[in-house]
Amino acid sequence: MAGITTHILDTNLGRPISGVRIEFSRKEGEAWKLVKTVATNADGRTDGPILKGDDAAVGEYELVFRISEIFRAKATAGDPPAFIDDPVVRFSIFDVKQHYHVPMLCAPGSFTTYRGS
Amino acid sequence: MTEKMKIDRRSLLLAGAATLPTMAFAQTGNQPSALTVAPASQSGLGPRLTMHAIDTFHGTPGAGMKCDLEVFESGAYRRISSFETAATGRTQEPLLVDDALKAGRYQLLMHFEAYFAKYGVKLPSPNFYSIVPIRFVIQDVTQRYHLPVLFSPWGYSYYRGS
Repeated sequence: MAGITTHILDTNLGRPISGVRIEFSRKEGEAWKLVKTVATNADGRTDGPILKGDDAAVGEYELVFRISEIFRAKATAGDPPAFIDDPVVRFSIFDVKQHYHVPMLCAPGSFTTYRGS
Repeated sequence: MTEKMKIDRRSLLLAGAATLPTMAFAQTGNQPSALTVAPASQSGLGPRLTMHAIDTFHGTPGAGMKCDLEVFESGAYRRISSFETAATGRTQEPLLVDDALKAGRYQLLMHFEAYFAKYGVKLPSPNFYSIVPIRFVIQDVTQRYHLPVLFSPWGYSYYRGS
């Protein structure tokens, strides 16, 4: 299956994070154009692919993970805001036949992404 | 790097090349230099923002990484400075220090694609990562903030260090 998928995990708890809003954009010229906003399910994934293989085109894409509001809701009074802010991952599809799994592992003070499988 | 260390490193690479698949070394031409000193503790220093680029592909400091520091103001990121990391993967001076350290939302744009191209790493075109935004929050200007970034052509991590 080609296209783009993600998976959000809380590395503090070792659990998926549900209800995270993800803004998916594509670069057009010099500007980022919002394609759609999706949210993670109970498994920390989106119900469908973020981008279907049939819709994949060579180019630059962006995922903005609105995680700070989730950490804020879970924080106790006096906790500082999440250091990692709302992380953004910008990456290219360079071959439409390949699949691009872009997971994000996070805690309030730490963020990791990679090309997964 | 001392002459002895250069020789030791070359011997190790040659020994490795003889026993490991050639793939392990064939992808890259001129390697970034290995770290030769222990990291210095920043404990006890005043409020500042520092960073450290660590190349987990070569196992070296991320030397010569072009970076742009920006702060979020009135709905957009405003450029504060542009610089290149030193041989240690750090910068000579803090990115922000004392009064210049202000609370806010920041991004460090790191030029991954140009970095790996410089060291001769073969990458797809367009590359998976080009200019990577590292976003973070500075909340308490009385504290010291350290931003390590561990990176390879296919993944990266950042965290609040010390």
